[in-house]
Amino acid sequence: MLTAASLSRAPGIATRRATVRPATVVAYLAAILIVGITVVPLLFVLIGGFRTTAQVNAAPVGWPSPWVADNYTAILGAPAFWEFLWNSMVIAVIATGLAVALGSMAGFALSRYRFRGREALYGVFTIGLLFPLGVASLPLYLLLRQVGLLENPLGVALPEAAFSLPVTILILRPFMLAIPQEVEDAAVLDGASRLGFFWRILLPLSMPALSTVTVLAFVTSWNAYLLPLLVFNDQSHFTLPLGVATFQSQYSQDTARILAFTTLSMVPALAVFVLAERRIVGGLSGSVKG
Amino acid sequence: MRSIRLCAVVIAALLVAACGSSGTAGSGALTWWHNGTSDPLKSLWQSVADGYHAAHPDVTISIDPIQNEQFQTKVPLALQSDSPPGLYQQWGGGGEASQIKSGKVLDLTSSVSSWIGTLGKAAEGWQVDGKQYGVPFDLHVVGFWYRKDLFGKAQITTPPATMADFYTDIDKLRAAGVTPVAIGSKDRWPDAFYWDYFAVRECSTDVVKQSIKAQKLEDPCWRKAGDDLTALLARKPFQDGFLGTPAQQGAGSSAGMVANGQAAMELQGDWEPGTMAALTEDKDFASKLGWFPFPTIEGGAGDPGVTLGGGDGFSCTTVAPPSCPDFLKYIDGAEVQTKLAAAGIGLPVNPDAAGALKDPTLRQVFDFSRKATYIQTYLDIALPTNVGQALDDAIANFVAGKGTAASVAATVGQAATGDK
Amino acid sequence: MRRRLELTLLLGPALLLFTGFVLVPIAVAAYYSLYDWQGFGALTDFVGLGNYWDVLGGAVFQGAVGHNLVIVVLSLVVQLPVSVAIALLLNRKLRGRAALRLIVFAPYVLSEATTAVIWLLILQPGGFVDQALTVLGLHGAIHQWLADPQVVLLTLFAVITWKYLGFGIILLLAGLQGIPRELLEAAALDGASSWQAVRRVVLPLLGPTIRIWIFLSVIGSLQVFDIVWIMTLGGPANASTTMATYLIDHGFKRYEFGYGSAVAVVLFIICFAFALVYQRFALRRDTEGAMG
Repeated sequence: MLTAASLSRAPGIATRRATVRPATVVAYLAAILIVGITVVPLLFVLIGGFRTTAQVNAAPVGWPSPWVADNYTAILGAPAFWEFLWNSMVIAVIATGLAVALGSMAGFALSRYRFRGREALYGVFTIGLLFPLGVASLPLYLLLRQVGLLENPLGVALPEAAFSLPVTILILRPFMLAIPQEVEDAAVLDGASRLGFFWRILLPLSMPALSTVTVLAFVTSWNAYLLPLLVFNDQSHFTLPLGVATFQSQYSQDTARILAFTTLSMVPALAVFVLAERRIVGGLSGSVKG
Repeated sequence: MRSIRLCAVVIAALLVAACGSSGTAGSGALTWWHNGTSDPLKSLWQSVADGYHAAHPDVTISIDPIQNEQFQTKVPLALQSDSPPGLYQQWGGGGEASQIKSGKVLDLTSSVSSWIGTLGKAAEGWQVDGKQYGVPFDLHVVGFWYRKDLFGKAQITTPPATMADFYTDIDKLRAAGVTPVAIGSKDRWPDAFYWDYFAVRECSTDVVKQSIKAQKLEDPCWRKAGDDLTALLARKPFQDGFLGTPAQQGAGSSAGMVANGQAAMELQGDWEPGTMAALTEDKDFASKLGWFPFPTIEGGAGDPGVTLGGGDGFSCTTVAPPSCPDFLKYIDGAEVQTKLAAAGIGLPVNPDAAGALKDPTLRQVFDFSRKATYIQTYLDIALPTNVGQALDDAIANFVAGKGTAASVAATVGQAATGDK
Repeated sequence: MRRRLELTLLLGPALLLFTGFVLVPIAVAAYYSLYDWQGFGALTDFVGLGNYWDVLGGAVFQGAVGHNLVIVVLSLVVQLPVSVAIALLLNRKLRGRAALRLIVFAPYVLSEATTAVIWLLILQPGGFVDQALTVLGLHGAIHQWLADPQVVLLTLFAVITWKYLGFGIILLLAGLQGIPRELLEAAALDGASSWQAVRRVVLPLLGPTIRIWIFLSVIGSLQVFDIVWIMTLGGPANASTTMATYLIDHGFKRYEFGYGSAVAVVLFIICFAFALVYQRFALRRDTEGAMG
């Protein structure tokens, strides 16, 4: 069959790779512009950590003069930082794991099964998206107190997972719906059960969407502030966002140290993104209709 | 569907299961909430706790530092539960009055009667209906911090004593190319300082007290305060874009501007030098700072000796161990007060500690506070929280050009009767 | 029978978690909205729908609704095309593509509080933005970004866009993965230009993902809070209030928990109305069809 691939390998025929198309040039220019606008504030956070607060206050955007490693070293050397990191990690892993696991199961049920009340149930899950989290925090706090989950990582992880379910299901369901019935029928013919189809075929095929919701759930949990604030009074239970308070007093804040702290806090979440991103883009994709 | 019914049963069961009490007060175990999340205050309070424990080994104090802004979220929730902290920080006035409604705040009147008198007028802000429900540990007073070098540049030899002098000085500063006054309007509460001060200059102390108690600002003097503020705004004393300037964050804040010599004055509390220290590389800035009280107004019915201020304090809860009031006495004792004053944490409420104030300007502020005929708590604290916040918002809108002097005064009455 | 068991197993845990930690608190919050309650003591002051009348009749709230609608419209008109364009760009074989994706997504990872703090510093009068504009010769374009009531909402929209664009782009990228390479190459062989390929092949196939994007974006725009709160507190003079900042400002900050809950329920109803209409008209065709 004549395909583009075979064409490009045929001798004597100019391939796309030999000419620089104007569209590519435009693409690179646009990329540079986007990077410029996006990256300046980010650089400010990263490099701001290498200045002193006095420097930052004198000139908010500028190069460190001199470069000061003290903020980063002091934070990395403080046991409290690693404690915050650990707490954040535990909660985020539990919340993300629960949200993605339960969400994909529910998404599967809501997409590949037909039953009465399916759309209504889907609507019920969507409700969680429509209500501002902050307001639900007050009754949520009272509930957690009654169930004895205060000062407990589960007291944060469980509600976070619950509140991530709507977005997870919202994103997963259309992806799961898009997988053609033929694939499922073929699996059934091969003797797989419905659940087997789910586990062995559907999930791998949904990898881009799964990776996306994993990243979203993780980042949401990682940056969550209000719920941990209400649940934890003891500083040893604090997560990273709460840890910023250690650099703020009633009348002032150590800006440079906060910038360093924020940069370091971002690293694990960005790492999760890098890991997941390969799955989003480089995963088993495009082969659905093979 | 069956699964939904099952869920409902489980949830109901969970809710009904009244979980056991989380922690008893215990004899001698005191949980302490304060806002010292960072040093020097964090270490200072820890050493205070250690010092008390050394003297009273049967009392263990465990500290939970809470970020300042989060107190208004966490305290109401804690007071609803069966196990609030034994000792927590609060700011007196109407906020305290609301907290008392929870029934969990300890009445300290009898336990502190022996020594509360030494604190002078400061303690009045923590009384509700004549009963002492909290005790201050430091005092704050609001006045004008100014740059002596910039005043010199504009050839102003003495700080203004009356409003008329103040207006003259504004003109002189403008003529010398200096921004006269910096203000952090974005945060709203700095605007309230001006309105509150005009109010106590135009209204007699009795009228102020009665109006706050009745939660209605009906006396015409309250409208005069708004008119005074209009007159001030008309002279354009503030920096460009002041509506978006924060009060304390970054060198572009109003505090930062004065710290870096970009503005000549700011109406702020005694914490100002501490805030400024972090906002400038100029190690010498403190020596360039001076302080003068809010100018008087000719013909104003207010007592010119009245000062606007507030403070920080602590309250004990009903679940605290019996040693809690004694710990308060320790905090207000000369030893701890001296430590606080030396560390620059506000003005001490115990006059014996005054000598520890290192900065001569702060000593000047402290002496002024002791001589004041009456310290009026900032109105947004003196009034109940919802009314006070509504007033602050009205003032901020007024400064931004929305509303009238009459509507600002009317806000209090409306908010108090449940208008939202 | 087996099917029922499977459904219970698949849906049960999610439903249980969701009901307990989301639905029940929401219902309780709605219950609070029927009372005047300052957070201390028991619920005694029943006002029925009184809070709701106060909310809907207030000029500040009505202004907030208007601001939210402006943000919704701007997000659809500005953010959507830009997101799609960037997603298409990042889907091509560019060098350093992975690093680009990381950079584009990084603002989403940054906490909202720090985002607001940085932008506050950058937008200071005479600060970085003003200096950059002057260098580019656009001195006349300088405004009081956060102090000018005419401009403040647009400034906030710019910051919000900076922060959330990455999230939308990742979502669209995931959607683009479902479009088979062969289709694009076949279109190219047929002589279609890149732009035509995009319009005729890619966009329609990206439809479901775009529709999800729109849904999340509108809901997010209606509920925007953190960045606005930290940067302007809804000011100056209520020029940048949103329904969520109004909720916190006039509700919780004033210890009016009943009133705040009523505002939350109104916000919920508005979001719910949108979701219903959107589900009926836009998402319906995504759920029918594909499945047998």
